[in-house]
Amino acid sequence: MRRFLVGMASMSLLLGGCATTSEVNQSRLDLIKERNELVCGVSGKIPGFSFLESDGRYQGIDVDICKAFAAAFVGNPDKVQYRPLTAAERFTAVRTGEVDLLSRNTTVNLSRDSSGGNGLTFAPVIFHDGQGLMVKRNSRINNINGLARKSICVGSGTTTEQNINDAFEAISLPYTPIKYQDLDQVIQGYSQGRCAAMTSDRSQLAAARSSFASPKDHIILEDVLSKEPLAPASLGGDQKLSDAMRWVIYSLISAEEQGITKDNIDEKLKMAKENSQLKPLRRFLGVEGDLGEKLGLDNDFVVKVIRATGNYGEIYDRHLGPDSDVPIPRSLNEIYTKGGVHISPPFN
Amino acid sequence: MNKKHNLFPYIRRIAFSNSLDTCITLFILLAVFLLSTITIKWLLFGADWAVVIQNYPLYAFGLFPADQRWRPALWLLLLISLTIITLVGPRWRWLRKLLPITWIGVIPLGIVLLSGGLGLLPVASRYWGGVTLTIFLTTCSSLLAFPLGIILAIGRQSDLPLIKFFSSIYIEALRAVPLIAILFFGQLLIPLFFPIGVEINRVIRAVLAFTLFVSAYVAEDIRGGFQSIPKSQEEAAKALGLSKLQITQFVILPQALIIALPALTNQAIGLLQNTSLMAILGLVELLGISRSILANPLFIGRYMEVYVWLAGIYWLICTVMALLASHLEQKVTIEKLTIKN
Repeated sequence: MRRFLVGMASMSLLLGGCATTSEVNQSRLDLIKERNELVCGVSGKIPGFSFLESDGRYQGIDVDICKAFAAAFVGNPDKVQYRPLTAAERFTAVRTGEVDLLSRNTTVNLSRDSSGGNGLTFAPVIFHDGQGLMVKRNSRINNINGLARKSICVGSGTTTEQNINDAFEAISLPYTPIKYQDLDQVIQGYSQGRCAAMTSDRSQLAAARSSFASPKDHIILEDVLSKEPLAPASLGGDQKLSDAMRWVIYSLISAEEQGITKDNIDEKLKMAKENSQLKPLRRFLGVEGDLGEKLGLDNDFVVKVIRATGNYGEIYDRHLGPDSDVPIPRSLNEIYTKGGVHISPPFN
Repeated sequence: MNKKHNLFPYIRRIAFSNSLDTCITLFILLAVFLLSTITIKWLLFGADWAVVIQNYPLYAFGLFPADQRWRPALWLLLLISLTIITLVGPRWRWLRKLLPITWIGVIPLGIVLLSGGLGLLPVASRYWGGVTLTIFLTTCSSLLAFPLGIILAIGRQSDLPLIKFFSSIYIEALRAVPLIAILFFGQLLIPLFFPIGVEINRVIRAVLAFTLFVSAYVAEDIRGGFQSIPKSQEEAAKALGLSKLQITQFVILPQALIIALPALTNQAIGLLQNTSLMAILGLVELLGISRSILANPLFIGRYMEVYVWLAGIYWLICTVMALLASHLEQKVTIEKLTIKN
C-alpha cells in the first residue's frame, strides 16, 4: 500500500513537472514568426463574426482581426490557420498552446483576465455587444420610451430578463414581458407578432433579423441595455505577444481616426515619405522611428495591416455595416469623435 | 393471376371488415395522405435547397484543399464501389476471397489518401471534414476497438486474477462514464498533461477516445458470445489435448464472434451516430460543418433544409452499414452450416 502511494505521488509529481517545466520564456510571438503562420482560434458559427463560405474559406469580423494579426506578425494576411473552437474548449486551447490567440467573440470580464481566473490577457475591445431591442419598422417606435406599456418577448431566467427589467425600472415606465424558454422561441414569438419588440444581444438580434422573410421591415433600436465587450485574447504573462496584439488593434482604430483606408494607404505612405513635417503620420506608418521594432514587429507593420484588411471602420462595414447581410448599427462601436467608444492612444 | 384475383377481397377482409375498421382505415389513409402531401409540397416547393446544392463539397470533404479533393473523393468512391461489389457483385470465388482483405486494406489506404505522404502532398487533419471525417472516425475507431474488445473479453474470462481484475475494472469504468465525458476528457484534458508545443492531433485524440469507449462495449458483446457456448465444448477440446490458446482460437472465439455479430453491428451504427458529438467539440465532421454553413449570412434560417438533408445522409450511411452487416451475417451462418455438414 505504501509503495502504491509513493508511486502515485511520484507519478503526479512527474505529470506536474511536465506541465510546469514546459513554460519556456520564449514569447509566443517569436514562435509565430518562426512558424511563419498564425494559429487563430475562431468560432466559425456566428453570422457576421466568423462563418464558413461556400468555397470553404472563413469570413467575418473575427476572421479579419486574425488576418490583421497575421499581416503584422508574419507579413502575410493569408498565413493563418483557423481552428474552430467551441465555447467550452476555447480557454483550454489557449492554455495548451493549440492556438496562438483567440479571436472568438469572447466577452472580457475580470475572472477571465485575472491570473486567479482563466489567466488570459485581452487585447482592446473590437466589438461592444450588448443587449438591444428589435421592433418592426412600421411600429414607429424609435427608442425604449416608445415601448412603454407594450409587450416585449424575452428569454426567461436569463440576465437578459433582468436587464430589461432594470432598464424599464430606471426610466420608471411599465411594460409587459412575454417570457420564453430560449432564444429560438423568442424569435418565433416575435415574428408571429405576439409582442411589439424582442430583446437579446444585438449581434443575435441582427442574425435573427437576417433570417426573417423581409429583414428591412425590422429595426434594432439604438438603446443598449448591457455591456458585452468582445475582444481577442492570448495567454497571460506573454507581454511581447499581448503588446503586439494590443497595438495592432489600436492601429486599426487609429487609422480610422486619421482617415487612412485600404484604398489611400499607398497615397498616405507616399505623402509621409515626401513630407518630413508630418511627424505623427511618419511615425505611425513606420517611415521614421522604431515603434514597430519596440513591439518586436516590423516598423511598417501598420502599412501591412491596413493593406490587408483596411481600417477598423472598413472591417466593420464589410461584415456588420448597413449593406452587409447582418447589419448592426455602429452606435458604441463608432470611434470617439463620432460618439462611440473606440479610441486609440497615440503612437509615440 | 390467382393472386391478383384475391387481392381485393383480401384488402376488404383486413381493412374494411366492419364499420369501426373502415373508420380507422379511412382515418389512417387520410392522415398519411395529408402528411405526405405536406411533406412533398415542402420538399419540392417550400424548401430552398441552395444551402445544400451550393455547399456540397463542404458536406462531402470539409475544408480539404480544392485541388486535392480527388483524394477523399477517391476514397469515398472506393468505399462505395466496395460496398456495391460486396452486396450485389458477382459471386466469383476469387473475388469473394479477396473482399475481406480489401475491406481491411481500404482503411490504411484512406489514411494515406487523406493525410498525404508517399508522394502525395501532406494535408493536415484540421482540413479534414464532412462525410469523409465522419466515415474516417467510424472506420478507424471500429478497426481499433474490435481487437481491443476481443482482448478485453478474453481477459475478463481469464483464470489469471490480475488480468481478469484489470479487464473487469476497465470495462466497468468505461461503461459507467458517459461517452461525452470521455470525449471532453480527450479533447480538453489530455492536452493539459503534455508540455506546451507537444500536440496530439485532434482527430487522433477523437479516434482514441471513441476506441477506448467502444472497446468496452465490444468486449461485453463478445463476452455474451463466449457465455452462450456450452462448457462441454471446452471440455471436449481439452480432452482432445488442445492447449488453452488453441481452445480460444479455434473453438470458442469463432463461434462467439458469430453470435455477437448482430450486437457488434449495433455498436458500429451507434458509433457512426456518436461521431456527431464531435461537432460540439470543434471537429467539423458532417454535423459540425453544417452548423458552420448555417452561420453564413446567405443561408441564415435554413435549419430545416440542412437538418432534413443531414438526416437523409445519416440514414443512408447507417442503412448501408446495416445491409453490409446482414450480408456478413448470412455469409457466416452459411459457412457455419457447411462446416457442420
